[in-house]
Amino acid sequence: MSSLQELFTRRVVLMTGKGGVGRSSLTAALATQAQRKGVRVLICDIGDDPNDYSPLARHFGRDRFTAAPTLVAPGIHGVVLLARSGQELFLKSVLRSGTLARAALSSDALRRLLSAGPSFKEMGVFFQLLTLLRAKLPSGEPEHSLVLIDMPATGHTLSLTGLPELLLRLVPRGPIAAALREGQSYLNDPKLGAAWVVAIPETLPVSECLELLEGLQKTGMPTGGVLMNRVPVDPFSAAERSALQSPLERINPLGAEGFRRPVLARREIARLRAGTKLPIIELPELAHGAALISGLADVLEKEGRTS
Amino acid sequence: MTNELVRIGELIRNRRVIVCCGAGGVGKTTTAAALSLAAARAGRRVLVLTIDPSKRLAETLGVSRNPPTPVAVPPDRQIAAGIHAPASLDAWMLDPKLVADESVRRLTKTPEDAERVLSNRIYQQVSSMVAGMHEYTAMEALHRLVNEGRYDLVVLDTPPSRHALDFLEAPRRLSGLVDSSALQAFLPKRDSLMARAASKVIEKILGAVFGEEFAHELVAFMMTFSGIFSALNVDVNAMRTFLSGPDVAFLLVTSPAPATLAEAHFFQDKTKELGLPFRGFVLNRSRARNTSKRWPDETSLEDLPAEAKAALPRLQVMAQGELDAAKRDLSLLTELEQRAGTSATAIAVPELPEGADDMLTLLTIADALAAS
Repeated sequence: MSSLQELFTRRVVLMTGKGGVGRSSLTAALATQAQRKGVRVLICDIGDDPNDYSPLARHFGRDRFTAAPTLVAPGIHGVVLLARSGQELFLKSVLRSGTLARAALSSDALRRLLSAGPSFKEMGVFFQLLTLLRAKLPSGEPEHSLVLIDMPATGHTLSLTGLPELLLRLVPRGPIAAALREGQSYLNDPKLGAAWVVAIPETLPVSECLELLEGLQKTGMPTGGVLMNRVPVDPFSAAERSALQSPLERINPLGAEGFRRPVLARREIARLRAGTKLPIIELPELAHGAALISGLADVLEKEGRTS
Repeated sequence: MTNELVRIGELIRNRRVIVCCGAGGVGKTTTAAALSLAAARAGRRVLVLTIDPSKRLAETLGVSRNPPTPVAVPPDRQIAAGIHAPASLDAWMLDPKLVADESVRRLTKTPEDAERVLSNRIYQQVSSMVAGMHEYTAMEALHRLVNEGRYDLVVLDTPPSRHALDFLEAPRRLSGLVDSSALQAFLPKRDSLMARAASKVIEKILGAVFGEEFAHELVAFMMTFSGIFSALNVDVNAMRTFLSGPDVAFLLVTSPAPATLAEAHFFQDKTKELGLPFRGFVLNRSRARNTSKRWPDETSLEDLPAEAKAALPRLQVMAQGELDAAKRDLSLLTELEQRAGTSATAIAVPELPEGADDMLTLLTIADALAAS
């Protein structure tokens, strides 16, 4: 099975990468492809604020997802992971007395503590994710067989993947520890969890991709591979390139920058290959617009068969 | 209200603070570095303050990553960049943990008090995960450095976040916590029956969630922490007032993407709502200038070798693609200019395919910004 096909057999996949590389588009495309394969897929955003505008939700014709999973396209559910929702779920599950849970949620002091206390935000997101992974259909099968998360910037991603180990050192027993260990049993099991990095073949995104891979490894998060987005097609042979090189420098016509781009892209992909053994799946540049997601899904499907 | 047009070249000469906002991956750090270079070249004493930049930017400026205080860019690099005394360029790539440690040392009464906090295991493990800590420390550092008077201009590269202004909101959340009244509720009460009952409930909740032992430790930590940081609380409000003033300019750094206009719209509204002086858009990686480029006429292509001639139709297809992209970028720039109105500006910085953080590239951008 190719590494990309394996992605669809996981329970939880983190889509990571620098801003502006097309992470949300690829998350949407993978969801589309998962749905075509008959996988019950749930796509997640991580939000700070319930009113945040979501680039992922935009691909499904809405401004944002809700805190409860909703059908956003045939066979695809969407949800926003919010610290607050997760914290509420957690308090309700731990404080078995309903009165105590209500008291907890209405306490101003506790609310302030939860909104700024150390790692409570990440813990809320983590617990909501765990709740979604646990959810079962009446048949006993997981309600969401694949949970696909559009992760925020690199720093936040590593805060989340490093959370269990960090907190277990502080709180080794009790309900928090139990939830963290259960979450780890999904995320850190290479058969169940994987992080994929989205990058584009340019200097800074490739550097950040390498740093991210190193960081993920340190936090014990299994990595599936790199999706190299927007790789420019080179229409010239090596001989043509060298024949065109000096006249282009002299004339410098419109298109000269486009001429250089595929070479720079190759150089960056080579640099990434030198830095990681993971599979790197190259995806072409596609025009933005309504057909982007299904176009990307088609490419991914083809890549999944060959890579 | 003045009718004078806002220009970036003016901002770098007469503002005391320039705040660069924007999502991750748009070249915000590079823009901040270029702005500070330009200002130092124009004769000012400048500090560029940034969080978690790329390694190469630190290398280009010749400063170490994450020092505890600002450091001067090495003299040879300053001279190479055309910066001459009394003008100067310092850079500080600040590490939130180190700045928090610094603040603890500064705000505690005795070294022993400081040591007690710094050696606390909760502090060591998770202080960097106190929500808003990065933003809080950046804000605090900015406040202190502006007031010290060592610099004519501080350029702040804000931490990456989906929402460009999150760094202004985040310290509020933290001050909501360190406001001592919030944490009083967690302490055992002796006064009224009501208060005793309320704190009993909270104790029960925390005990059930964290286990009794850790709950006590956590509350003790939060009390100490808030005791120290509530001294900074005043600064957050003072800072907000300062940032609303005429010495400050907010810029949105962005790049051509389908969502750029929506983001620009949101940013402008938000700054207005918060009463902050929005002064312009910097559109990075723009190919807008290429609209004036033309495909060469036949005569200049006649003497090409046969192999190159055969490839020309494909190069022409590429040229058409570039032209289409250039036109899109130009119309985006025009829309941003209209949106900017008379109190702000919009400027395009060309795409720099070689990676935008070697010194020569930075100088090119700096000159383009200074001349605008």
